[in-house]
Amino acid sequence: MKTADWLVLAGTLTFIVVYGTWKTRRQRNLDSFVLAGHSLPWWMVALSVMATQASAITFLSTPGQAFKDGLGFVQFYFGLPLAMVVLSITAVPIYHRLKVLTAYEYLERRFDARTRALAAGLFLVQRGLATGLTIYAPSVVLSVLLDWPVSVTTAGVGLLVIVYTATGGSRAVSVTQLQQMLVILSGMGLALVAILRLLPHDVSFSEAVAVAGVSGKLNAVDFSFDLSNRYNFWSGLIGGFFLALSYFGTDQSQVGRYLSGRSITQSRLGLLFNGLAKVPMQFLILFVGAMVFVVYQFVPPPAHFNPVESRRLAAGPLRAEYAEAEGEHRAAVDERRAAVGRYLAARRDGSPAAEGAARDAIRAAGTRYDSARERVSALVRKSNPLSDGRDTNYVFLRFVLENLPTGLVGLILAAVFSAAMSSASAELTALASTTVVDGYKRFVRPDATDAHYVAVSRRATVLWGVVAVAFAQFASKLGTLVEAVNVLGSLFYGTILGIFLVAFYAKSVGGRAVFGAALISEAAVLLLFACTKVSFLWFNVVGCLLVVALALLLQVARGEAAGRSLEPAA
Amino acid sequence: MTASPPPRPGEEGDRPPVGGSWAVLYAGVIANLVLLVVLFSVLARTFR
Repeated sequence: MKTADWLVLAGTLTFIVVYGTWKTRRQRNLDSFVLAGHSLPWWMVALSVMATQASAITFLSTPGQAFKDGLGFVQFYFGLPLAMVVLSITAVPIYHRLKVLTAYEYLERRFDARTRALAAGLFLVQRGLATGLTIYAPSVVLSVLLDWPVSVTTAGVGLLVIVYTATGGSRAVSVTQLQQMLVILSGMGLALVAILRLLPHDVSFSEAVAVAGVSGKLNAVDFSFDLSNRYNFWSGLIGGFFLALSYFGTDQSQVGRYLSGRSITQSRLGLLFNGLAKVPMQFLILFVGAMVFVVYQFVPPPAHFNPVESRRLAAGPLRAEYAEAEGEHRAAVDERRAAVGRYLAARRDGSPAAEGAARDAIRAAGTRYDSARERVSALVRKSNPLSDGRDTNYVFLRFVLENLPTGLVGLILAAVFSAAMSSASAELTALASTTVVDGYKRFVRPDATDAHYVAVSRRATVLWGVVAVAFAQFASKLGTLVEAVNVLGSLFYGTILGIFLVAFYAKSVGGRAVFGAALISEAAVLLLFACTKVSFLWFNVVGCLLVVALALLLQVARGEAAGRSLEPAA
Repeated sequence: MTASPPPRPGEEGDRPPVGGSWAVLYAGVIANLVLLVVLFSVLARTFR
C-alpha cells in the first residue's frame, strides 16, 4: 500500500477516535453511558442502527459472497423491513414508556429475575462470541497489509476498540456514526465507480451486467421452497423476519441504539428508515461483488485470494501440486475469457444462436474454474490445518489492494475500519451494559452510585473485549464471516425472541412456564443445528414458536398463577 | 365530546412528522420492499 493510502487511512481513523472521545469526555451517569441520555434525533438513531449492523464483515465478506454465489444473499434481508414495522408498533413504545435501560430489565418486571437472567445470559454468550468475529474482520485486513500473523493484528484491533469504547461508551459510538457512515457509503460508492472504470473500454455497463447474469451472479430472487437452501425468498422473508425481529427487538446492541432516541417518535422513525434503506444498501454492496467478478473476466484473478496462504503454498512442500493447480486455474480463466469475448461479440452482432453457444461455453468454463479453485483450497487446508481453505473474506480486499487507484484504497480501508469500530464498540457497550444492569446491579450491588456503575461498565467493556479477542483466534476456521456471525446469532435468537413474544402477548403465562419452555427450546435448536441440514434462518422460527407453544402448554399443565401484565394503557 | 389525551412526557404526540399517520409510513416501508423484490426479479430474468 502506498504512503498516500496510509495517510488517508490513519487521518480518517484518528479524526473519528479523537472526535468521539472529545465529544463525550464528560459522561458521568449510567443512563448517559448506556443510552446516550435518550437524546438523539431520528436520523442519528437510523445511522446508529445501520452502522451497528454494518460491520467490517459487511464490507469484506459480502462482496466476496456475491463474487462466489451471486446476489442471492440479499434475500436474507427481506424480512427486515417487516420486522421494523412490527417493532415500531410493539417494542419501541413498551421499552420507552417503562424507561428500561436494557431489554432484559423488562423481562423481570413481566416475569421474574430468573427469566431476565436467562435471556441476558443467552445474549451475552452469543454476542460475546459474535463480537470476536466483528473484531477478526479488520484484523484480516491488517494481517494482509502488514504481513503479520492474524492473531497479532486481532489483539491490536481489539485493544483499539476496547480503549475507544471504554472511554466513550454509547455516546461516543453515536456521535461518530455519522462520520463513519459517510466514510462507509462514500467508500463503497467510489469503489463501484472505480470498478466500472476498470472494465475494458469497449465493454459497456449493460454488457458487464449481462456477463454477470449469464455467469449466474444476478440470481437475486429464488422463489423455490427448500428448507436446506440457505437463501431463497421464503427463508429470507420468514426466517429473516424472525431473525431481524429478534436481533432488533431483543439484542441489547440494537435495543440500546434506538432507545437512545429522544422519544418514541424519533426511535420509530429511525427504525423505519432502516427498513427502507437496508435492502438497497445490501444490494449495492453485493452488486459491487458481482462487478468485481466481471472485472476478473478481463483481469487475471489469483488462484487463491488469501496472499498469505498463496505464499505459504508457493514456498512450501506442496509447491509442485500448487503449480499444477495454478496451471489448471489459468487454463480455466483463459477459456472463460475467450467465451465471454465470443458472448459479447454475438450480442453486438445480434446472433441468438452464437450467443446461446457462448453462454453454454461460459458456464462450462465456470464449472472448470470452480473446480480448479476448490483444488487450490484443498491444498491450503492440507498445508495449514488451522485454515478452512476458503478465501471469500479476502476477495474484495485483494481486489482493492491490487486494482484500485491510490487514495481510494486508503478510503475503502478506512470504511472497513470505521465499520469495525462502530459495530464492535456498540456490541461491547451492549455487553458491558447488560453485564452491569442485568447482572452486577441486579444481583451483586443494587445500591451503588452512578459513578460506580459507570466505572464497572468500563471494566466490563475491557473484560468482554478480551473474551472477544480470544474467540477471534478461532475465526479462521468458521468460513465466510457474514454467514458465521448470522449462524451464531440464529442459534440463540429464536429462543430469546420467543420469551419476549410471550411477555408482550401471552398475558396469562407466568415466569416458571416461560423459563422451562425457553430451556427446552434452546436444547431443541442446538440439536437441530448439530443433527440436521436445515438452513440456519429457520432456527429463528423454530426456536421462537417452540418457546411460545411450550410456554402456553406448560402454563396450562401447571395451572400457575398468571404472569404480571406491565404494558401501560395506550 | 372528549379531548384526546395529551402526549406522554418525551413523546411528541402520536402523529409522525411526515405522511399523516403511522399506518401510511408502515405501508410505505412494506410497499418499498415489494417494489424492490419485483425489481430484483426483473433484473434476474432479464439477464440470465
